[in-house]
Amino acid sequence: MGRIDRYLVLPALLLSLLGIVLIFSALHGSSVQGGSLYLRQMIWLAVGLLVFVAVSSIAPRIYENLSSLFYLVALLLLILLFFGGVSRLGATRWFSIGPLSLQPSEFAKVAVILLLARYLANRERPQFRVRWAAFSFLMVLLPALLILKQPDLGSSLVVVAVVPGMLFWGGMPITHIALLLSPVVSLLAAFHWLSWAIFMLVLIVTLFVVRPTLRFALWVLATNLAAGIFTPLVWQRLHDYQKMRILTFLNPARDPQGGGYQIIQSKIAIGSGGLFGKGFLEGTQSKLAYLPARHTDFIFSVLGEEFGLLGCLVVLILFSVIILRGVQVARKARNHFLSLTAFGATTILAFQVLVNVGVTTGLAPVTGLPLPFMSYGGSSMLLSWSLIGLLCLVSYTWQEY
Amino acid sequence: MALYTKEERSKMAVGLFSLLLVAVMMRLFYLQVISHAAYTQVAEENYIRVVPLEAPRGLLYDRNGKLLVSNRPSYSIYFIPYQIKNPEEAFKDLSLKLNLSLATPSQLLRGQSKSKYQPIRLLRDVDFKTICVLEENSLDLPGIIYQVERARKYPPRGRGSHLWGYVAEISEAELTRFSHLGYRSGDLMGKKGVERQYDYLLRGQPGVSYLKVTAQGRILGPAGSREPVPPKPGADIKLTIDWELQSVAESLIALYGSGAAVAIDPKSGEILALVSQPNFDPNLFTGVLLDTVWQRLASDSLHPLLNRCLQGTYPPASTFKILTAAAGLESGRVTTRTLFKTCRGGLAFGNRVFKCWRPQGHGQLTLMDAIAQSCDIYFYQLGEEIGLDLWSDYARRSFFGQLTGIDLPSELSGIIPSMAYFDEEYGEGKWPRTLIVNLAIGQGEVLVTPLQMAVFFAAIANGGEILEPHLIRETKYPDGRLLRAQGELLGQLPFSPNTLGIMKAALVKAVNGARGTGRAAILPSVTVAGKTGTAQNPHGEDHAWFCCFAPAQDPQIAIAIVVENAGHGGSVAAPIAREMMATYLEGQLPSSGRKRVLMSEEEGFPWGE
Repeated sequence: MGRIDRYLVLPALLLSLLGIVLIFSALHGSSVQGGSLYLRQMIWLAVGLLVFVAVSSIAPRIYENLSSLFYLVALLLLILLFFGGVSRLGATRWFSIGPLSLQPSEFAKVAVILLLARYLANRERPQFRVRWAAFSFLMVLLPALLILKQPDLGSSLVVVAVVPGMLFWGGMPITHIALLLSPVVSLLAAFHWLSWAIFMLVLIVTLFVVRPTLRFALWVLATNLAAGIFTPLVWQRLHDYQKMRILTFLNPARDPQGGGYQIIQSKIAIGSGGLFGKGFLEGTQSKLAYLPARHTDFIFSVLGEEFGLLGCLVVLILFSVIILRGVQVARKARNHFLSLTAFGATTILAFQVLVNVGVTTGLAPVTGLPLPFMSYGGSSMLLSWSLIGLLCLVSYTWQEY
Repeated sequence: MALYTKEERSKMAVGLFSLLLVAVMMRLFYLQVISHAAYTQVAEENYIRVVPLEAPRGLLYDRNGKLLVSNRPSYSIYFIPYQIKNPEEAFKDLSLKLNLSLATPSQLLRGQSKSKYQPIRLLRDVDFKTICVLEENSLDLPGIIYQVERARKYPPRGRGSHLWGYVAEISEAELTRFSHLGYRSGDLMGKKGVERQYDYLLRGQPGVSYLKVTAQGRILGPAGSREPVPPKPGADIKLTIDWELQSVAESLIALYGSGAAVAIDPKSGEILALVSQPNFDPNLFTGVLLDTVWQRLASDSLHPLLNRCLQGTYPPASTFKILTAAAGLESGRVTTRTLFKTCRGGLAFGNRVFKCWRPQGHGQLTLMDAIAQSCDIYFYQLGEEIGLDLWSDYARRSFFGQLTGIDLPSELSGIIPSMAYFDEEYGEGKWPRTLIVNLAIGQGEVLVTPLQMAVFFAAIANGGEILEPHLIRETKYPDGRLLRAQGELLGQLPFSPNTLGIMKAALVKAVNGARGTGRAAILPSVTVAGKTGTAQNPHGEDHAWFCCFAPAQDPQIAIAIVVENAGHGGSVAAPIAREMMATYLEGQLPSSGRKRVLMSEEEGFPWGE
């Protein structure tokens, strides 16, 4: 048990406990079953701590050797989900084991980190090859597509987002990562020809400055052109309801009754909280059920409403402590594999925190990502604590070293 | 390109994270500090349902304290916009389920500045069956709720409808006109009659209560954070109307279809009865007014919405002979002994022969007998003697051709033609001088309202005082204050006491004389003074007039009656007046007190309880 890094475990524990308090408050006075979910979350925390101990106790070599196996098991589970999974609210994301239900996608996140870490650890050269990046993306493509099919947009985004983070840490120049991601920007810019033209101009200038290999440059140009040309064509062929969905996704205020409702209510909850909040159990937005998914994806809104800016800042600082420590651990790690693993874990935590808070404050479109440690749900809790476990493992090897 | 060291890369990573973190924190600062007030308000609008509490409208009583118009509980249906995803479809569904036609959502939402979380009234005063259907389907009809409110309860079958008119929701046009008086969209407003005239007294001041409501629309009870404001009830009004008299008169006129009757207390100007037939049922307007009902009311050829007492203008016919006679006496053109050419049933003026109503003629009559027997030939000659100028001058100074100022809206003034009037109508000087001949017997272009006739006869009865007719007797404010209305003296008839005495005597003779035309109005114990009239109607049967007062020595009631298309005043209108006088004067005798108390107990609450 010497593998506890207090800079990681203490804030994580505080966040988990605060999460339970918020779940209690969010569901206080609602149905009998809902009112007791905070008790279940306590059990999940206990299980999470066990998982944490287990993950941090296993020898680092084992992770490195079994990373491919983990990846295959994750893929298998994701495929099996389509046959034996439990459906809720139109999504098939869970396996049920007795009274518990688990999301394989959370396990896939960990597996992707380990596989990428191993792949990139073996390729530490002065010159980073673009081919490696392409291969990294290919590796996550399969699990990402399987998760997207469930559908779980948030989790598949997380799996994809971890790639550029780890490529960066693996030594790929940031400019090359940017070029690699440029087709995505092209896709969005292509909704207006002028914005797309400007973006292409910037892209070409960037290519001349960065001077990547000819092959990479040609690839970047080709993908961007394709994105720019096909987006409007595809857009025109979409049905009106499909367009509406995408537009609502991008601008929730367009549809205040549908998807936009969540973000509007969340902003109202947070905004009405003010500096110090309305007080524990005093939030009207959450108590009177105006806030949807208030104990899961929108737990941060409950925090903002009842504990105000002050409570939000405390939580964000706790998360920052974990993430900054995570980066430090990655930096000091004994070997390249562990370093990449730590950075991948930190990337996932940072991504989920920033996107979740971004969604609840109306900065990002609704994606359906839980807030690590705090949102209600066993899978999220286990993933969060697994990541802390991995980070502690790396931290231990560093301290030991 | 050089590879960054781990140190450099971790600094970049931390830098990027910090940048995003600062962005999130700035966002939080913006939401929770800068926009805090706005979001607090939205949060409150979210969960606090503002329930307007309509003030109980003031009640209406008759002069004896009998409750006439009251309030009853009623159901209104509201909708909460944000809970309805597709309003067009939801309304279609609702209208199908409730079997009611509804306004479209866009109509209802237009001009609504309220939050979409606050209920908007959809329908007023729906019946209990509809509420049952609504309750059964409540799961399929999210965002549709109902609330118990008050609706006006008027006497059945349209009785008294022209007195009080009706209330209905304020229209857009009225809203822009009267918004400075504190009216708001959706308020009830008096539309006609006393409801309109005294709306400012009756309506009171609405209050508001605040309820805590969940997102699913479940009410958790009063919202503690805001104090409810109780409504201020409207003032109760005791009318000058005698309901018994009113009822008798209404049913009698109703026998003939259409007509009007006005009864006034000649001592005070208080209106004792104001009857216009046909009437309408004001209860129809309290809730869902069906288009078909409105169409029927608006297109009815008998115009049931017209208050004939003050909006119906008729030639006064022979009832006006009393004015012509008084003008002749007062101007000195005739005395009671003056004789004119003998009545042989007709007389030529210019190249036209004017007929008397009695084809066999009246012979040669004095003024008194000419009035009593209503001889047209006498009055043709008297009119010619007086001349148009003088005649119309006396008529005007007797307050004809102008508004009486009764406390009801939309009164008409009628027409007293003068030289100037004819000049304008026919061109200067292009009208025959013989027009006065016809005017003298109240035919031709002269138009009066039954109300004006009643006021005029009340003035003859009380010795010449024109009292402003009024319907309000007492106002009782919710704080208990009582305000007694005072009749205003508008002026004097332009006749000397001597002339008035002759007029009275002539009117007594017209009823009680052996050859009087108004003998049908004779009462056994009371001397009645009155004058019949039969107005020629180019569109159909004649209109029957009777104007009177009684008892002649100490008048307590003056009446003007016109019954449309009914024939002779003496045979149709005079008996109605007799019944009315009998009813009212019997009630004035002390011996009938017991009966009145019994009636109060049975039919309503005595005034002041």
